[in-house]
Amino acid sequence: MTSGNELSRRSFLSRGAATGGLVMLGAAGASVLAGCSSSPSTSSSTTAASSSGGKPGVNTGTPKKGGSVTIGTLAEIDGFFPPSNHWDTNGFLYANAVYDPLMWVAADGTVQPYLAKSLTPNADFTVWTMTLRSGVKFSDGSDLTSTVVKNNFTALAASALTGTALKGIASVDTPNPLTVVYNLSAPRPAFAAGLTSQVGYVVGQAMLDQTAAGKTPTPIGTGPFIYSSWQPNDHFTATKNPHYWRSGLPYLDQVTFKPIPDDTQRAATLKTGGVDLILTNDPVTIKAFTGSSQYQLVDSLTDSIGEPTVAFVMLNTAVAPTNDLRVRQALAKSLDVKQILKIFGGGYTKAINGLFQPGSPFYVSDTGYPKYDLAGAKALVNQYKAEHGTPTLTLTTVTDPRLESLVQIIQQMWNQVGFDISVASIQQATLITDFITGKFQAATSYQFGAVDPDLNYVWFSTTTVSPVGSIGLNFPRNSDPQIEFSLQSGRTSSSQSTREVAYKKLNQRLAADLPYLWLEQYPFAMVGDQRVQNFAGLTLPSGAAGYGFDEGIIFPSQIWLNG
Amino acid sequence: MPDDRELADTRNSGRLLSDQVPGLAAVDELVVSRQSESLDSDDIMVSKPMGVLFWLAIGWVGLVVVMAVLANVLPLPNPNFQNYSAINAPPSVHHLLGTDDLGRDLFSRLVFGARVSLIVGFVSVTIGMLIGGTLGLISGYKGGRLDVALNAGSFVLLAFPAIVAVIAILAFWGQSLFKITVILSIAVVPLLYRVVRASSLAFANREFVIAARTLGAKSSRIVFREILPNVIPVAVTFGLITVAGVIVIEGSLAFLGLSVPAPTASWGNMISEGTSNGTLNINPYVMLWPVLSMFLLLLSINLIGDRLRQRFDIREGLL
Amino acid sequence: MTKYFIRRFLQLVVVAFIISVLCFMLVHLLPGDPSVVILGPNDTAHNRAVLFQELGLNKPLYQQYFVWLGAVFHGNLGQSYLNHESVTHIVATGFPIDLELIIISQVIAFGVAIPLALVTSRRPNRTLDNVSTTSTFGLLALPPFVIAPIMVAIFAVGLHWFPATGYVPFSQNPAQNLHDMILPSLAITAGSIAVYYRLLRSDLISTLQEDFITMARSKGLGNRTIMWRHAFRPSSFSLLAAAGVNIGALLAGTFIVEYLFAIDGLGYSLVQAVQQRDYLVVQGIALVVAIAYVVIQFIIDFLFTVVDPRVTRE
Repeated sequence: MTSGNELSRRSFLSRGAATGGLVMLGAAGASVLAGCSSSPSTSSSTTAASSSGGKPGVNTGTPKKGGSVTIGTLAEIDGFFPPSNHWDTNGFLYANAVYDPLMWVAADGTVQPYLAKSLTPNADFTVWTMTLRSGVKFSDGSDLTSTVVKNNFTALAASALTGTALKGIASVDTPNPLTVVYNLSAPRPAFAAGLTSQVGYVVGQAMLDQTAAGKTPTPIGTGPFIYSSWQPNDHFTATKNPHYWRSGLPYLDQVTFKPIPDDTQRAATLKTGGVDLILTNDPVTIKAFTGSSQYQLVDSLTDSIGEPTVAFVMLNTAVAPTNDLRVRQALAKSLDVKQILKIFGGGYTKAINGLFQPGSPFYVSDTGYPKYDLAGAKALVNQYKAEHGTPTLTLTTVTDPRLESLVQIIQQMWNQVGFDISVASIQQATLITDFITGKFQAATSYQFGAVDPDLNYVWFSTTTVSPVGSIGLNFPRNSDPQIEFSLQSGRTSSSQSTREVAYKKLNQRLAADLPYLWLEQYPFAMVGDQRVQNFAGLTLPSGAAGYGFDEGIIFPSQIWLNG
Repeated sequence: MPDDRELADTRNSGRLLSDQVPGLAAVDELVVSRQSESLDSDDIMVSKPMGVLFWLAIGWVGLVVVMAVLANVLPLPNPNFQNYSAINAPPSVHHLLGTDDLGRDLFSRLVFGARVSLIVGFVSVTIGMLIGGTLGLISGYKGGRLDVALNAGSFVLLAFPAIVAVIAILAFWGQSLFKITVILSIAVVPLLYRVVRASSLAFANREFVIAARTLGAKSSRIVFREILPNVIPVAVTFGLITVAGVIVIEGSLAFLGLSVPAPTASWGNMISEGTSNGTLNINPYVMLWPVLSMFLLLLSINLIGDRLRQRFDIREGLL
Repeated sequence: MTKYFIRRFLQLVVVAFIISVLCFMLVHLLPGDPSVVILGPNDTAHNRAVLFQELGLNKPLYQQYFVWLGAVFHGNLGQSYLNHESVTHIVATGFPIDLELIIISQVIAFGVAIPLALVTSRRPNRTLDNVSTTSTFGLLALPPFVIAPIMVAIFAVGLHWFPATGYVPFSQNPAQNLHDMILPSLAITAGSIAVYYRLLRSDLISTLQEDFITMARSKGLGNRTIMWRHAFRPSSFSLLAAAGVNIGALLAGTFIVEYLFAIDGLGYSLVQAVQQRDYLVVQGIALVVAIAYVVIQFIIDFLFTVVDPRVTRE
C-alpha cells in the first residue's frame, strides 16, 4: 500500500540521462519524506559495517568467488535499450549488470573513464576525444569499436527520449576503430559527466540493428553479467560473463533482480531470506534496519557526491495566488520543516536550504532561504488578504499514503496562518502532465540528483519557461534572468571558482524567488544481509576508488559472498 | 458479492424435487419430528422471539448510526486536527482509542469515518436498488425483449473489469464522497438487478399473480402490488449484505488512493493507512478500531438480516 | 444443445466486443497519455509528435480501434508502449498465475465452507453453528490488505513457514509453487468462505426439511449418504451461482494481493497499465478477462445441468 495505491505504484524515478537530471516525481512507493541524518557519522557508526573498510557495504578484504545474489528492487525496469527506455534508479541497477557506462564518478567526485580508456577535451572544451580499450567484446562476441559507439550515439540522438540531452553535440567522428571524437557546438566543461548517465551506456551493434528492425532484442552489452532471463514484474537474471574485460571480475556467478513494489513486503522478504539485498527509499524501512547487527545498511544521506536528490514543494509562479512573491514567502515561512521531518522519518532526514548540501563546493550556509516565522507569515497573508481576499490554493501530490500524510501536515501548517488549503492526490501520469503544462498551484516532488549541476540546466532555465497550458520543462515557470546568467556561466566555464560562484548564486536566487520550498535530501538505501560483501564498494578500472553507491545505484560486479 | 441470482431457483428446484418424490403422506409424522428438531433453523415457518443477540445487533447498528449522524454535535475533538505532541499515542483518557501517526484522535476519526462509510454503503445500495431493483422487477415480470436486453446489459457490466472503470472515472471526474457514492451505486446496479429479477421471475408465474392477471389487473398494479411485496424480503436481505460489501470495497479504493480525499476519514481509508508503510507494527490501533467496528457492524447487519428473513419467510409461506 | 453452444459462443463474442470498445474509450478518455510516461521530462511538442507517429496514436480514435481489432483477429494483441513486452506474453504469463491463485483460494474456500455447512446444517443454531456462522461472516470485514500483512508478519517473518513475496513458476517446481502461493491465496479466500458457507448452509437447511430427505431417512440410509447424495446436490445451486460471480470478481480483481506479494498477475498489470496509460496492455487484459468471465459463466451453467439434469434453460 504504500503506495499502493495506485497501485501504481511503479516508481517513476527517472534518472537522468536524457536531460541529465533526475526527475523523480514521488511515486509509487516513494516517500517523500524520509529520513534522515545527514551527518555521515550517524548512520555509518550505527550500522553494522561488514569487516574492513569502515564504510558500511564496503569490504576491501580478499573476495571469494562464486555464488549468486538476489536484489529486491522498487520497480521493474522499462527495458534495456537506452535510446527508448526511461531508466530510473532501478534501471541503472539492472543496466550495471549487463552494461558498462563509458564514464563514472570517482570517490573524490571527479568524473573518470570506465568503459572508455580516456576522455580528453581540447583547450576550449568544444572537442572531446575518447579512446576505447582494445579487446573489449560484447556478450555476442562482437568488438567494442568507435563505430559501435557512434551508432549508439546516432540512435540516442534520434530518440525523442534521449535526443534533447545530446543536442549540443554537432557531430561525432571515428578517426580509427578505438577513437571517438565528439564535436560540440559550444564549450561544455561538464560534458564528461553527461556520459555517466543513460546516454553513456553502450549496447552491441546487433541490438541496435534488431531494434531498428522493430524487434525487442535481449540485452547485448560489455558488462560483467550476461542476460539470462527476464520476466517483467517478476525477475531478471544475469549470469557471469566469463570474458569480462575487467579481469577477475565479477565475483558472483549470477545476479537476480526482483521487483517488490511494497516497502514493507520488500523488507519482510529480506528478513525471510527471499532476497539478499534490498533497495529502499522508505524512511520507516531505513530506520528499522539502522543499527541492526544482522544487516548492513548504506544510505545516500551519509554518502553522496554531487547534487543529491532533494524533496520539495513546488510552487507555480505563473498562476494566482502563488504568482505573488508574498504568498510564496508566507508559504515558506509557515512551514515548520523540522517538525514535518520529525513526524515522518523520526527526524532521520535533515532540513535543507537549497540544492547543495554541506560538503559540496557549491554549498552556501545561508542561502537567504526564509526561516520558520509564523508571525511573519501571518503578516504577509494579511497583506495579501487586504488586496485580494483569502489566498486559496490546492496542494497536489501523487497517490501514495505517505505523500498524502505529508500534504495533510503541510495543509494544517498553512491553514494556521490564514491560507485556505485543499489537498488532492492524483495519479502520476496526470501529475506529470500538469507539471509540464503548468496546471498546478503547489505540488510535492523530488528531483535534481546529478553528478554535475549543469545536468539540471533545463529545469531552471528561462529558455524552458512556457505559458500555462503549453509544454515547458521549467515546471514552476520561474523566469529569472540572473538564474539564466548563472547557469550559462556554470555551463561554459572551466574554472572551478567561476562555477562555484555561479551555482552558489543559483542557490541564492532560488531562495529569493521561492519556486521551490525545500524539505529534505531524499534518502536511498541499500540493505544487505551479513553474507553479502562489498555491495557498495567500487574500484574503477584505473584502480581508484569509485562512487559505489550513487543514490541507490550500485555495481553488482564487485559484490561477493562470505561463507 | 454473491449473486443470489439462482437463490430463488434453488428453492424452486428443491420444491420441484420434493414434488417428484412420491409417497409423502406415509412419512408425515417423520416430517413433523424432523422439523421440530431444527426448530429455529433459517427457513422454518415458526415464529420465535428475536433473541438477545438480535437486540444487541440492533443496538450496535443503532449506536453506530446515531454516533455518525450526531458526530458534529458530540463533544469530540476535531478528527482532522494533528496534535504533534501525541503521535501514535496509545488509548488513554485524553484519546479514548489513541491517536494515529499524525496525532489525530482515533475515536473521533472512527465516528466521523462511520459517517462516510455508512453514507457510501447505504446510499449507494439504496440508489442501486432503486435503479437495479426497479429494472429487475419489471424485467423479471415482463420478460421479452426488454428482459433480454437488460439481462445482457447487466452481464456486460459484470464482465467488465470494474477496477478499470473506477480508476478511469475517478481520474476523469475527480474524487469526492458524492462521486464515489455515485460510482459505487452504478457498480452495484447489475448485481441487484440480477437478484431482484431472479426473484421477480420466480413469482411471475405464481398462482396469485396469474389470478390477478386473469382478473384484469394492470401490469403496473401486479408488479407493485403483488410481486413487489414478495420480492422485498430477498432484496432487503441481499441489500444489507451488499452494504457490507460496499463498505469493504470503499476500503479497497482507499488502498488504491481512490477514496474520499484527505483528510476526511472513512473506515476504509483508516484501515488502509493502518496497514501501509509498516504502520501495523508501529501502531496497530489505527487499523484495529475500524476493522473491529466493521466486523461488529457486519455481524449485526447479518444477524438482523437473518432474523428479518425468517420473519419474512413466514409471511411468504402464509401466502 | 448445439444451438445452446452456438448461442453462448455468440454471446461471448458480443460481450468481448462491447467490453473492448468500452475499455478502449475509457482509457483514451483518461487525462494524460503514454507520452508523458514514456518521455517524462522530454515530453515536448516535437517529441510527442514523433512518438505518437511511432505508436500510431496520431490516427483518429476509431481507426486506432479497428487497427487494434484487426490485429487481435490475427492473434496479435500488440505490445506495451513502455517495455515493449508483447501483450500476448503478459497475458500468457499473468493469466495462469491469476487462475492458480483463484483455483487455490476457491479450493480452500470450498474445502472449508462445504464440510462446515454439511456439519452445521444438521444441527442449526447449536454452538458450533453459531460460532461458525458468526466467524465466517466476520471474515467479510477482513479485506485482503488487512489479512496479508498480518499473515506475513506471523507466518513468513515470524515462523519462516512461507516466503513473504514471490513464487516459483509451477512448471519449474510444482510443490514449491503451491507452497509459495498459499499465503496470497489465503488472503483472498476469506470473503469467499463467508459467502459460500452462508449460502450452502441456509440451502442445506431448507433442503433437509424437504420430504424426500425424510423419506431417505425412513429408508434407513446413513447420515453421510443422505447429506452428500441427497441433500448436497440440490442445495448447491446458490453455491455455484455465487462461485461464478465471485470468481468473475476475482479475475483481475486480485491486484492488491498481487501487489503485496510481488506476484506478476493480470490484476496488478492491469492497474499499472491504466495508470501508465499503456493502452494496448489495458485493452488486451480487459479483453481476456471479459472472455474468461463469459467462459466461467458458461462452465457454471454447464455445472447446473450436471447437478440437476432437469434444469431447463428458457
